[in-house]
Amino acid sequence: MTTLLRIAGLGLALVVALLFAVFVGDQGPWYFAWVVGTVMIVLISGAGAILFDAQTDNTQEGEV
Amino acid sequence: MDLINPSVVDLSRFQFALTALYHFMFVPLTLGLTFMLAAMETVYVVTGKQIYKDMVLFWGKLFGINFALGVATGLTMEFEFGTNWSMYSRFFGDMFGTPLAIEGLMAFFMESTFVGIMFFGWDRLSRPAHLAVTYLVALGSNLSALWILVANASMNVPDGAHFDPETMRMTFDSFIRVVFNPDAQAKFVHTSVAGYVTASLLVMGISAFYLLRHEHRQFAARSFRMAAIFGIISTVAVITLGDVLGRMDYEHQPTKIAAMEGLWHTSKPPYEPWIVAALPDDAKQESYFEIGVPYVLTPLVTHSFSTPITGMHELEEQAGPRIESGITAVAALKRYSETHMAEDLAIFQAHEKDMGYGFLATRHAPNQDVSAITDEELHNVVEQTKPDILPNVFVTFWSFRLMVFLSLYFFVIFAVAAYLSLKKQLERFPLFLKLCMWSIPLPVLATEFGWITAEAGRQPWTVFERLPTFMSASTHGVGYMLFSLGGFTLLYSIFIAAELYLMFKFARLGPESHGEHDPENGTPSLSVIAH
Amino acid sequence: MDLYTVLKLVWAGLLCVLLIGLGLMVGMDMGVGTLLRFVGRNDAERRTALNIIGPHWDGNQVWFILGGGAIFAAFPTLYATSFSVFYVVMILLLFSMILRPVAFEYRSKVDASTWRASWDWAFLASGFLPMFVYGAAFGNILQGVGYHFAWNGQYYQDSSFLSYLLNPFAILCGLMAVSLSVFQGGVMLMMRSENPIYSRAQGYARTGALVGAALFAIGGLWIRHVRGFVLLEGQPGMPANPMQGQHVSMEAGAWLHNYVAHPVLWLLPVLGLFSMVAGAVFVSASRPYLAWWTGVGSWVGTIGTVGAAMFPFFMPSSTNPDQSLTIWNSSASQYGLICMLVVALIFVPLILCYTAWCYYVMGGKVRPENIINDTHSY
Repeated sequence: MTTLLRIAGLGLALVVALLFAVFVGDQGPWYFAWVVGTVMIVLISGAGAILFDAQTDNTQEGEV
Repeated sequence: MDLINPSVVDLSRFQFALTALYHFMFVPLTLGLTFMLAAMETVYVVTGKQIYKDMVLFWGKLFGINFALGVATGLTMEFEFGTNWSMYSRFFGDMFGTPLAIEGLMAFFMESTFVGIMFFGWDRLSRPAHLAVTYLVALGSNLSALWILVANASMNVPDGAHFDPETMRMTFDSFIRVVFNPDAQAKFVHTSVAGYVTASLLVMGISAFYLLRHEHRQFAARSFRMAAIFGIISTVAVITLGDVLGRMDYEHQPTKIAAMEGLWHTSKPPYEPWIVAALPDDAKQESYFEIGVPYVLTPLVTHSFSTPITGMHELEEQAGPRIESGITAVAALKRYSETHMAEDLAIFQAHEKDMGYGFLATRHAPNQDVSAITDEELHNVVEQTKPDILPNVFVTFWSFRLMVFLSLYFFVIFAVAAYLSLKKQLERFPLFLKLCMWSIPLPVLATEFGWITAEAGRQPWTVFERLPTFMSASTHGVGYMLFSLGGFTLLYSIFIAAELYLMFKFARLGPESHGEHDPENGTPSLSVIAH
Repeated sequence: MDLYTVLKLVWAGLLCVLLIGLGLMVGMDMGVGTLLRFVGRNDAERRTALNIIGPHWDGNQVWFILGGGAIFAAFPTLYATSFSVFYVVMILLLFSMILRPVAFEYRSKVDASTWRASWDWAFLASGFLPMFVYGAAFGNILQGVGYHFAWNGQYYQDSSFLSYLLNPFAILCGLMAVSLSVFQGGVMLMMRSENPIYSRAQGYARTGALVGAALFAIGGLWIRHVRGFVLLEGQPGMPANPMQGQHVSMEAGAWLHNYVAHPVLWLLPVLGLFSMVAGAVFVSASRPYLAWWTGVGSWVGTIGTVGAAMFPFFMPSSTNPDQSLTIWNSSASQYGLICMLVVALIFVPLILCYTAWCYYVMGGKVRPENIINDTHSY
């Protein structure tokens, strides 16, 4: 039952997000671009930091 | 009708420009740094590495110092419309007040409430919950910017409101058109990502400072990496949106785009050069020492190779009939306000779209009353009013150029920084690191020039083609203005001194720990910065 | 009643709520600021006092911003005129209001006694002055303000700012607002502190409540002799234009007319006076939580009293009474009021939820030792 409710909740959120995306994408394409772009900038710069950790061999003396 | 003392108008403009530019020294950093903090904290929550929490704490400290001044100086802005621009607020407040109020209700409340939890709630919230709070602060501060820019765009492109002769003001008629005003959209994204650029360069510059001194290397290198990537994408976005805004001005504010490009005469596509540098002379209405790149202007502004851009001389000529029609409109409006005759209303409505130009002619009318202009004087008044439709070309032209040059410089510096950081070769180029460090204040300059371009270019109007600036101010005496101007100058100077002192102090002090605490052991790295 | 009139009334009511919220929440923080130098005798104690409101002052201050924004959106003509008419006073208010956020953020970041002492004085000024101005503004508005409009809606000022500052009735109202804020600030300190701050705050809170009650009573007697305004002609649904369609006369004691017509209104001043006295009693009995709620009653009572007396006036003009600003002639358009109402109905409940959540998260007593060990404290 809880799983079902959770799925229903997620489904509702999805529908709302879709409607929002369609409306804002139609009326205000740049607003839509801002939402998508900001998420992208945050995630890519975060990925850059994680990549840094992967590049580092755990010695404090290595080049940065 | 007696006009406001011109020096009071100038002082009011000066005070507003001073307080707005000062406010805007802190805002971009808030807009960008909140999302950078959110990015850092995301990495912390995902990887669980203490060093990313240290990054959030340290950059958060600098954010806090800056945030306080942003909030404080923002208060001034909200009240200054009422204290210094009474006529403007009454004339346009029905529409203009709404986005400002929504800003308070929707964005500023959210930002201010959660910022307390963001600073104080580390030990009281789970990591994901705290991360959510950080995102809410970031979203709140940017939504603040959204509503302010919606309001600002409505001054530049008054959409969603019409003039009502019964109430003598602009009446609000479409919320959707105000919010989705294309100018507002482009302005918001342009300003928000300009904030990202500012914050990126601050983080990058201070990190470069540590790398140069070989201090906090792991901390600084990670911060640098994130900032460089954040910055390069944002710079691309800022330039793209700048281009969109330019086209918006071309469509809606021909006087602004002509002044920005120093275009005295209508352009001759496709050869017309883009002027890189020149000395525009407002009084003589021509430019000296023009240096241009041919074939660039037309595609840059119009995104085509054949459309001409109207020059300022031609715009003046086109304004002539509108000024004449506007004078008829204002005279009819004044009669209507006294007698309420249907025929006056009909005359007014026929000329309504030119009303603003009639107000603009007030300064040159006998006794500052356009209804007293005789047929013999009409030609003279129109001729005198024509040059008034142009903004100050020198200021608009150069602030625009400086902004553009700086943004190109940011593009280069972030590209190099991202490349070197990804290659992990930063420390081999100390000169470049120094350059990053010294570039910290430049984005602030660029954003200020952006404001000057947008607002100086809007002149002579507060509400474009509806209400001239000289009519918008409150009717204060010069003494009142000197009192407030002196107070603001004094107070703001103290603030900036205290802010810079604290910023330098904490930047020199550096982060408290560099991730040496193992997050698995759960030893919190809380120590005392402020004893 | 037509829709437009209802909307105007709703927004006048909301404005009242905002003014009450502003007095209560901002007043509380300002009371703490005013008391800072007196309840805290050393640096650790002062920092304790500051950190009691530390996580909340910023959110509370938004009431002030919201007040400004709501007046601008719902009553643009009132916003445009009142802020300009009271220019010098408003600028003083602004100066002290912008000092506060900076004082909070910067005071404890440098460990030097002159630095901190300067900011402590800034707290005193930025706590006392705005509350005084807030109260004095009510005092001035009750007596009428000198201004008139030209045909195109430009306002002109007819009297100097000195008459607003050096005005015994306005000073009385200003001091009354300061006492209420000292009461509320003292009570807040009591709720979240321990001795010695607790007992000192207790003393100041009691004094604040009693002085407030006394000034309120004096003001009530005085108002019979203050020149009030009577709306002779003017339709509630009229277009929002102060330049025409209204006729107003001036008459001493006219502010009591509404009370004579509707005796039930007397409950408002009674509520105010009763709350202040009860507040003093609860403070003495060391029941700060009950006392805090009497503070709510005091603000509802006082602002309600003024509102009931002046209805439907906002800011009467003493030099051209026909152009006095009322609820009917200074509001936004019908469309604007509906827009703002929808926005408020969505966001105000949301704001109340997350503000309550923040108080819940940050609850508990604040002690000097927690502050020294916390990186982020003020």
